[in-house]
Amino acid sequence: MQRLVRLVLISAVMVGCAVKPVVDEPQEPMTASQELEGSPALSLLTSAEQARQQGDNSRAERYLERALNIAPDSSWLYKQLADLRLTEGDARGAEGFALKALRLAPDHPEYQAGLWELVATARDRQGNAAGAKSARERAATLRDPESRKA
Amino acid sequence: MAKKAKKSPAKSRRQPSRKKKPSAQRRRWFSWSFIAKAGLVCLVLGAAGMAYLDALVRERFDSHAWQLPARVYARPVELYEGRVLSREGMLKLLDLMRYRRDARASTPGSFAVQGNSLLIHTRGFNDSDGGEQSERIRLSLSGGQIRSLEAGGDRLARLEPLQIGSIHPQHAEDRVLVPLDKVPPLLVDMLIATEDRSFYDHHGISLRGLSRAMLANIKAGGLVQGGSTLTQQLVKNFWLSSDRTLSRKLMEMPMALLLELHYSKDQILEAYLNEVYLGQDGARAIHGMGLGAQFLFGRPLEELEPHQLATLVALLKGPSWYDPRRRPERAMERRNTVLKVARDEGALSSADYDKFSARPLEVVPRGASALYAFPAFIDLVRRQLARDYPPEVLSDEGLHIHSTLDVLAQLASEGALKEHLNHRDPKQVKKLNGAVVVVAPAQGDVLALVSNRDSRQAGFNRALDAQRPMGSLAKPAVVLSAVQQPKTYSLATLVEDGPIQVKLPNGSVWAPQNFDKTAKGAMPMVDVLALSRNQATARLGLDVGLDKVADTMKTLGVTRNIPLYPSILLGSLELTPFEVAMMYQPLATGGFSTRLRSITDVLDKDGKPLARYPVSTDEVVEAGPAFLTQWAMQQVVEEGTARAARAALPSDLRVAGKTGTSDDFRDAWFAGFSANHLAVVWVGRDDNKNAGITGSSGALPVWANLMGKLPQRSLSQNPPPSVEWVWMNEDGRRVSAEGCGNARRYPMLAASIPEDSDGCGTVKQTGKGIKGWFKGLFD
Repeated sequence: MQRLVRLVLISAVMVGCAVKPVVDEPQEPMTASQELEGSPALSLLTSAEQARQQGDNSRAERYLERALNIAPDSSWLYKQLADLRLTEGDARGAEGFALKALRLAPDHPEYQAGLWELVATARDRQGNAAGAKSARERAATLRDPESRKA
Repeated sequence: MAKKAKKSPAKSRRQPSRKKKPSAQRRRWFSWSFIAKAGLVCLVLGAAGMAYLDALVRERFDSHAWQLPARVYARPVELYEGRVLSREGMLKLLDLMRYRRDARASTPGSFAVQGNSLLIHTRGFNDSDGGEQSERIRLSLSGGQIRSLEAGGDRLARLEPLQIGSIHPQHAEDRVLVPLDKVPPLLVDMLIATEDRSFYDHHGISLRGLSRAMLANIKAGGLVQGGSTLTQQLVKNFWLSSDRTLSRKLMEMPMALLLELHYSKDQILEAYLNEVYLGQDGARAIHGMGLGAQFLFGRPLEELEPHQLATLVALLKGPSWYDPRRRPERAMERRNTVLKVARDEGALSSADYDKFSARPLEVVPRGASALYAFPAFIDLVRRQLARDYPPEVLSDEGLHIHSTLDVLAQLASEGALKEHLNHRDPKQVKKLNGAVVVVAPAQGDVLALVSNRDSRQAGFNRALDAQRPMGSLAKPAVVLSAVQQPKTYSLATLVEDGPIQVKLPNGSVWAPQNFDKTAKGAMPMVDVLALSRNQATARLGLDVGLDKVADTMKTLGVTRNIPLYPSILLGSLELTPFEVAMMYQPLATGGFSTRLRSITDVLDKDGKPLARYPVSTDEVVEAGPAFLTQWAMQQVVEEGTARAARAALPSDLRVAGKTGTSDDFRDAWFAGFSANHLAVVWVGRDDNKNAGITGSSGALPVWANLMGKLPQRSLSQNPPPSVEWVWMNEDGRRVSAEGCGNARRYPMLAASIPEDSDGCGTVKQTGKGIKGWFKGLFD
């Protein structure tokens, strides 16, 4: 009973707050430096990007693995590995890394939504249509400002 | 045939006259025509022989002059600002890699200590990412960290990977190939001055050299010079067995001539330098100056100083007679003779001669080299390679295998096991032995593998092959299976710890006992794990379902067949230490399964990348249940059976793990992890008899010791979004609040949080959800 009363009170406060119009401020896009600013891993990431541009994926991968040894909790680095695996045709590997990137992801809905889309693509390519669909739904939910407030 | 038939009647006609005139027959025997015929036969035979030898010489020299075994390297040492590395650790690494102290660090492979900082001249190496150039770096170390690092415009540097072994599947010939342009010119000068002064003038055989050698030997009253040219010596080394037979001698000269006919002096010299036999290291034959340099001085040939080069040349006279380890006086005398000859021939200045002939031999002790120091790990690499490469590729093609071994982790593991067993079983009367596996859980890299208390000994690889009941190491799988059903179980759920009996299909009764033979009554699930209660675990596991627990074990990475007996709940399943590491790896990473690897890259003999063994990972357990299980395993260390480990670890470091003891104290286990190291320790006896040890007493100290020596990161205390911190009433069924009775705080999955409250405390009790909401309001 006591709990119920409390909940009612809280709901009242909530309604009060909701009167204030919520402006949906667009978030700055996520970049590598948000996680890796000042880390020596950043220069390895740059080298990995250069290697990828030169089409040398396995060199890029080695750079990323080294970078992860230095910055093991970087979601961004796992996302790069996921991207790399997808371009190499290893959809299962891409899914694993994208899910790992999501585990470590900062509170950045657009970035997270992008990762869920990556998961969806990877699942599609493995023939997992249902899994892909649920991943796309996660992405959509993250991008929908209403559901985010909920 | 037709010709013969015609001749024979003529022969028979002549026979009677031959009987009459024997002297005439003798004359004919000596006739010129016979000599000519015999000569022709000899010539034909000789030509055929030469053609054969020519083919032999060319075929061997052209096709593949040297069989180069695959070489295995540890992981390169990555240096960067902020890396946890003690000064002691850094110096130990430099010592293992045989970096030389040199006030200016002027050449690759040298370093200088300058106050708080180190000046290091790195060696440079190839890797699949392009590798590193040799460069001079300055790094300062303090407080167990690299504080600053200056390298060529970068804040990153790498030391070359330490060679830790080579793979010889078929034969025991070893070699480090050194191209002629990498051979120190002084070595060539010394070699030619002492062994074959007319090398550049002769055609393979030198009569002048032979006579001069004889003269010199007579003058000296003993053997100081050999008469064979370098070319002849190469032929001996390369194609002929070492027995001193006449036929071998007869082959040697023409082969030397043929070799000179086909190949340049430089080619012959390069072959000689890489082929020459320099000694024996157990079953391993040491061939070539490159390996000789490593074997004797632990350094690349390019880095040797004149007196060391002279020692190598001294060995040519007789590798075992002048063995600098067993016969230092003899070797020293011969070395100084080589230096003297070099001086007399103008290859070495008088000042240098004085300086270097006064130096000691400076040979590293046998076994001090990292080569062959880690047989258990090399065995793992060999097994992983054998799946992908045929033996002849591994023995011949000079592959460079970049492994995941972390030398400091390996040494810490070896030290911890040895120290503990020497303490518990100093005279080895209890015949205790053990194994350690250390893994970097996120990438699955095997950092260390120990399979014997004497880690230099090869032989039975306990880490990979000792299959033992895992005991209580199975219990986290029971807990994980339970919390994966959040509507039914949470870590606060009470489980009865009391006698339990299960009738088995064969009619027998399974009635597990607790370790202390007591029953503690109802307790929360987290305590069941922390205190390792057998009866409560059995009850919980049977309630959750044996099939569910077995499935969880498979999900975690157990590949063996798991029989659905209740005893699997308490660890009757037999696993090797390596398999336990596989099973615990997803627990350490919050549910991501990564295949354990011991190899990262394979490069060809020129350093060109051939193959990668990339990391890959699969999410096998959801974030929530994985976090709960990991948290429960932290309580094992915080307040459970592994409390003793706390003393060896920094107080703020959060680690998790589980003790394990099998029936009759046969096996002691501990498997546990921080965020960056997972280590599994097994201690027991090879004959599987009672070892009188428990997980806490037998294995945990090894684990705590080695974990305490490695740089650690804490396990994250931030729960994933699906988990909230909730104060729970001690009945495990109602929420409560901080400070209320015996309320305890648990990480809970939403589906586990009861709607009922015990009525104590305030609104804050529902944890993160509400707090987060308030936070959102004021942000």
